[in-house]
Amino acid sequence: MSLLIGASTIGLILALLALGVYLSFRIFNFPDITVDGSLTFGAAVTAILLVRHVHPVLATLAGFGAGFVAGALTGILHTKFRIHGLLSGILVMTALYSVNLHVMGKSNLPLLNEKTLATAAEHLAVRLRGGEQDVGILGWSVGLRDLSMLLGAMGLVGAVGGILYAFFCTDLGTAMRATGDNPQMIRALGVSVDFVLILGLALSNGLVALAGSLLAQYQGFADVQMGIGMVVWGLASVIIGEALVGTQRFGFLITGAVMGSVLFRLLVAIALRWGLNPNDLKLITAVFVFVALVAPNLVRRLRTPVPKPNPA
Amino acid sequence: MLDLDQILKTFNPGTPNEVRALRGVSLRLERGLFVIIIGTNGSGKSTLLNAVAGTFLVDTGRIALAGQDITRWSEHQRARLVGRVFQNPFSGTAPTMSIAENLSMAALRGRPRGLGWALNARLKGEIRDRIRTLNMGLEDRVDNAIGSLSGGQRQALTLLMATWLKPELLLLDEHTAALDPKSADQVIRLTHEIIQKDRLTTLMVTHSMQQAVNLGDRIVMMHRGQVLHDLQGAERARVRPEDLLARFDQVRRREQLDPAVAELLQRSYV
Ligand SMILES: Nc1ncnc2c1ncn2[C@@H]1O[C@H](COP(=O)(O)OP(=O)(O)O)[C@@H](O)[C@H]1O
Ligand SMILES: [Mg+2]
Repeated sequence: MSLLIGASTIGLILALLALGVYLSFRIFNFPDITVDGSLTFGAAVTAILLVRHVHPVLATLAGFGAGFVAGALTGILHTKFRIHGLLSGILVMTALYSVNLHVMGKSNLPLLNEKTLATAAEHLAVRLRGGEQDVGILGWSVGLRDLSMLLGAMGLVGAVGGILYAFFCTDLGTAMRATGDNPQMIRALGVSVDFVLILGLALSNGLVALAGSLLAQYQGFADVQMGIGMVVWGLASVIIGEALVGTQRFGFLITGAVMGSVLFRLLVAIALRWGLNPNDLKLITAVFVFVALVAPNLVRRLRTPVPKPNPA
Repeated sequence: MLDLDQILKTFNPGTPNEVRALRGVSLRLERGLFVIIIGTNGSGKSTLLNAVAGTFLVDTGRIALAGQDITRWSEHQRARLVGRVFQNPFSGTAPTMSIAENLSMAALRGRPRGLGWALNARLKGEIRDRIRTLNMGLEDRVDNAIGSLSGGQRQALTLLMATWLKPELLLLDEHTAALDPKSADQVIRLTHEIIQKDRLTTLMVTHSMQQAVNLGDRIVMMHRGQVLHDLQGAERARVRPEDLLARFDQVRRREQLDPAVAELLQRSYV
């Protein structure tokens, strides 16, 4: 049970990563690799601030801000300097690796004795339960710490998802969605596509960094390697989410990305429990995304007969 | 109102693919004038409209609109003054978004966009009212994705979007060419109504001589990146579709006679 709760909590935290990836990959069709660096960037900035005893809320917001800046940078490289989108992301991601090491001062920064959002949630839960350490749910005894993390993550992701949904309903958010849909049209209506793309990538990487920040607080450390492969991870969640909700409406897709992230984490936890080698995880994730990307095309091609080559 | 002064535009200069698409176009139109542009394929009609809309910056020359020099303005800046309908019905709308969302964006053409709700009950009501004037039965489908509509319906909506806020200049680039005849007729009638009602200054490209003669106050014929004929006043009033076709034939015959000589003549006149 505690395994499932832990997996769901990480799934919820990484749902913010999935939302970020949804924004760049799906709204803008922009394959943004910055994610791998900005997730760690968010974790690193939050961790070093927590070690310096900054308030956890401020430290978390700073993590978001760090990712926001990183994403904006990728957007600027792409729009103002006309660097290929993929390469822009790779440049920023690579630079961030060094930046993260500098921020943390070493490759792994433990948060064992710091006040974090995680410890705050735990304290709150303990106070509410009057000191009890375990809670009975459907006959299972669940650690209060685990439960408070899960509920805390749920509340936060729910709030962020709600804010993102609300943003997409505003004039600016609507223009952002249209920019991905038809840049020619939105330009003709007076919107700077460059500006919207920069803002969108900034928001996307802000969300990703927020995921990194929360993950570091949840697991009690920030590590310079923790972002590696995260973009594929987020993409897998988005794809699962799309399959789950099966519509184009962004409200559903936001919900879907969250559900996809949790489901994906649960599947991974179960697979690991059954003896999957953890080293194979990224390989399997990559293969999964590959299959999910080509399968729709493959099915279409199998359905439409290939025209025979004309002998003449 | 619109003042084009010696516009030059060359694509891919200095390469084997060099195209001198606009070779010194000057055009001046007063407020409220409806100008039709005709010309052979590749004569630079779309390029001229793109130059005005700011799709690219011109190499030399000056563009003034509504008393402002917009030569160096970017496309999204010019959108404050310019409304546009493209030839391709897919170009003017965001397909996965609803009719109402598309129109809500048009209601802010060229204006700053903040964090206000894009759609409120009042705007949605207004959107329904204006869509009703199209007589296409779309007013009950404002929450449907635009991608599910026909080309004619999309062009009608794009026209509504381009003119939702009265533009200083309306640009129409063969906006009925991709439609079936019935839809094309419908969209043309709508175009005429809107331009008349709002007295819009308009540049409209068409390949239909009938449209050219029936609509508009003035006919400009382009050829090889230049204005070849500019029919106004009494001359414009007299003109029939056959006369326009005859002018096309004339051009074609001259080309066939000796393309090399024609090119040489062109060059010495530029
Ligand atoms: N973006 C571009 N890049 C290169 N060549 C272009 C571009 N746009 C137009 N052209 C060329 O400029 C010439 C004029 O094109 P266009 O204005 O589209 O003609 P039309 O009168 O048929 O609308 C054509 O030879 C066309 O190939
Ligand atoms: Mg054209």
